[in-house]
Amino acid sequence: MLRYPGLVMTAAGLMAASLAHANQNQLDLQQNPDFWATQLGNYQGNRYSQLDQINRDNVQDLRAQWQFSTGVLRGHEGGPLYVGDGRLYIHTPFPNKVFALDLEDEGRIVWSYEPDQDSRVIPVYCCDTVNRGLAYADGKLFLNQGDNTVIALDAESGELLWEAENGDHTEGETMTMSPLVVHDKVIVGNSGGEFGVRGHLTAYNVETGEMEWRGYSQGSDDEVLLDPETTTMLGEPIGEADLGISTWPEGEWERGGGAPWGWVTYDPELDLIYYGTGNPGTWNPEQRTIDGEPADNKWAITVFARDPNTGETKWVYQKVPFDEWDYDGVNENQLIDVEFEGEQRKGLAIIDRTGFGFLMDRESGELLVAEKFAPETNWADSYDLETGRPNVSEEFSTFRQGVDVNTTNICPTAMGAKNMQPSAYSPETGLLYAGINRICMNYEPFETEYVAGQPYVGATLTMMPAPTQEGDMEGRMGSFIAWDPVAGETVWEIDERFAVWSGALATAGDLAFYGTLEGYMKAVDIESGEELWRFKTPSGIIGNINTFQHEGKQYIGVLSGVGGWAGIGLAAGLEDPEEGLGAVSAFSALKDYTELGGILTVFALPDA
Amino acid sequence: MILTRTPRQLGVDVLGTLGIMFLMATGVTAQAAGNEVEKASSQPVAGPGDYTVINGKVDQGTYDGYIAYTRSCMACHGPDGLGSSFAPSLIQAAERRSFGDFSHTVASGLEIQPGRVMPSFADDEYVLNNIENIYSYMKARGAGDLGRGRPKVIEEEVAANKNNGEQD
Ligand code: HEC
Repeated sequence: MLRYPGLVMTAAGLMAASLAHANQNQLDLQQNPDFWATQLGNYQGNRYSQLDQINRDNVQDLRAQWQFSTGVLRGHEGGPLYVGDGRLYIHTPFPNKVFALDLEDEGRIVWSYEPDQDSRVIPVYCCDTVNRGLAYADGKLFLNQGDNTVIALDAESGELLWEAENGDHTEGETMTMSPLVVHDKVIVGNSGGEFGVRGHLTAYNVETGEMEWRGYSQGSDDEVLLDPETTTMLGEPIGEADLGISTWPEGEWERGGGAPWGWVTYDPELDLIYYGTGNPGTWNPEQRTIDGEPADNKWAITVFARDPNTGETKWVYQKVPFDEWDYDGVNENQLIDVEFEGEQRKGLAIIDRTGFGFLMDRESGELLVAEKFAPETNWADSYDLETGRPNVSEEFSTFRQGVDVNTTNICPTAMGAKNMQPSAYSPETGLLYAGINRICMNYEPFETEYVAGQPYVGATLTMMPAPTQEGDMEGRMGSFIAWDPVAGETVWEIDERFAVWSGALATAGDLAFYGTLEGYMKAVDIESGEELWRFKTPSGIIGNINTFQHEGKQYIGVLSGVGGWAGIGLAAGLEDPEEGLGAVSAFSALKDYTELGGILTVFALPDA
Repeated sequence: MILTRTPRQLGVDVLGTLGIMFLMATGVTAQAAGNEVEKASSQPVAGPGDYTVINGKVDQGTYDGYIAYTRSCMACHGPDGLGSSFAPSLIQAAERRSFGDFSHTVASGLEIQPGRVMPSFADDEYVLNNIENIYSYMKARGAGDLGRGRPKVIEEEVAANKNNGEQD
């Protein structure tokens, strides 16, 4: 099955001889600053590059070298991989094409692969037919198809090596996330939180595609793969058995969402993987109560730390018990080492959907910091660090306000103060860099009935730009921020017209990069946030900015191609709460700035 | 109250009732201000595309149209019928297309540009039973009689009053 790994490795000119585990291969690749071998740059999810050929002093000379159209419309998330063999590997949204492009021949197509998928999967995606990218290890590429097929391709030839069925789109399941390879396993999660699916994280053998373990997001402890005696919650054993059933009204856990559709990160020393689960089934909180009172709906919106070998859960932390706003907990868990109150800690930082920036101890699962990075956040005043629970504000509780009541001006919106767009972390500055959303909402729950394969939402919402304060850009719907995860403070902030939906990049060249929904790629001074360079790509950017070096030349690659939830929600502009019926919105409509189209743009310095 | 899973009755009964209402209301001129009583159909007789808006509230059928749209179409066609990055505004579509064309597209799907798929809803009874309601909702939006967001339903008495010509 393992086809030409030797050949690939030779081409890569790698030092690594020990290919015992895909883990080792991936680890070696990501430790070489020339490569961008996994979507988040490294296992820790840092999206940081030690390359500094492109830097603060010369970035104004950065030029587009070549562009490549993927031929696919709709939202392009994720980014190119470079593993040292002179090619870029990219993917597209549905139909999930894969291309190997020759970096030395301005993107000539070395091979391409297009899966044969049932197009009836298209309407069961909640928010565009996105895909967050390929994974690589040991000469193989791994892709999660929209129709729930996980595949392995031979990176050399593009030949299909194996496929595995991970779910059923007629039940509303899809796949959009990027797999992560750890040891000899490829780890994947399903999507479908808006269709009442049951979330699960699954490991497949990299060689054979056989399922090794699956941990559900709710149900019995056996199926969640946790042990109430040993699995901890904020440092203490959970204690009670089967909370994944008992914290739901009768049978509701079976359609309890909790889809882990975001990023998975990994700590090779602790040998633990980290990821978060999505919203708990229907958006109507009333239907998730027990005896009319809020119930925790475990383990939705929960950070899981699991053993990648067995799937067993080391610790859990539920960020939002009893969700009332669709605050999926899937945002990336950045693994960073920090000094906290004079002590060195193995930290885990989250710029969360809820508007709060969390810092946890990734070994013990203790909560250390929870502060608002989006100051407009009002659904909760604060977090109780002892209990780990948010202090929910009654005024913005869609449950307390009631079914068929429109609860107004909740911040952030269901899109979250930050969605899937992954942040970057610079070990030099100790700061996180993230594109965020500045949007609020009115949310009205209504009773809904579960029908397999149909949306199971049960709330309608309208969105509007978050209120601004003096000095903010008028009507802005997004920002790019530098966040101090230990102090829990924003260090600087750049306002943007639209939500910033692209993945960030931080580099040793003292630069941070991000893309905008209008299609600009921007480079800013990592210390001050001052804009140093911009380039308008042909379509809005919801992909991630990746960097790598080939034959002494540093490149930056980005997929543009507007779409995703941002493309659905913002295309026509948002409602102006101040204006009456039929008035033209004063807020910008994305469709006035950009159109569809997947394009890869590759940048470099002209004389490098 | 479960509003969205009894489409068959709603489709038939509500439209039947509305038909009577609209016949009675024929001749009431549409008014520019959105919060007044409205009867704004291009056709004088009742049928798909008809709707009633009173003080921003709508008849049950138009409301069901909003819910059906939000459940089955919004994920592609954007909030409140406005269109998204990859699917066109259905408000405009309802203005330009006859009900026949509109419902034909919903039933059979459309794929002019590859990958920009309008799925066929031929197997989806819920949607099929709500096409008229969706069309009415879009017409109300297109005429500027109905704003964004989830509308309220006209209470029974008010509707009765309207039928009796006592409203306004
Ligand atoms: C999976 C995405 C998707 C969903 C869900 C969807 N549509 Fe569409 N629809 C599209 C796309 C894309 C087009 C444009 C197709 C083209 O031009 O090739 C379209 C076109 C249409 C058109 C034709 C527009 C015109 O100008 O003639 C109508 C009518 C329509 N859709 C109605 C609906 C209704 C009603 C629903 C819900 C019951 C719905 N659609 C759900 C994607 C979708």
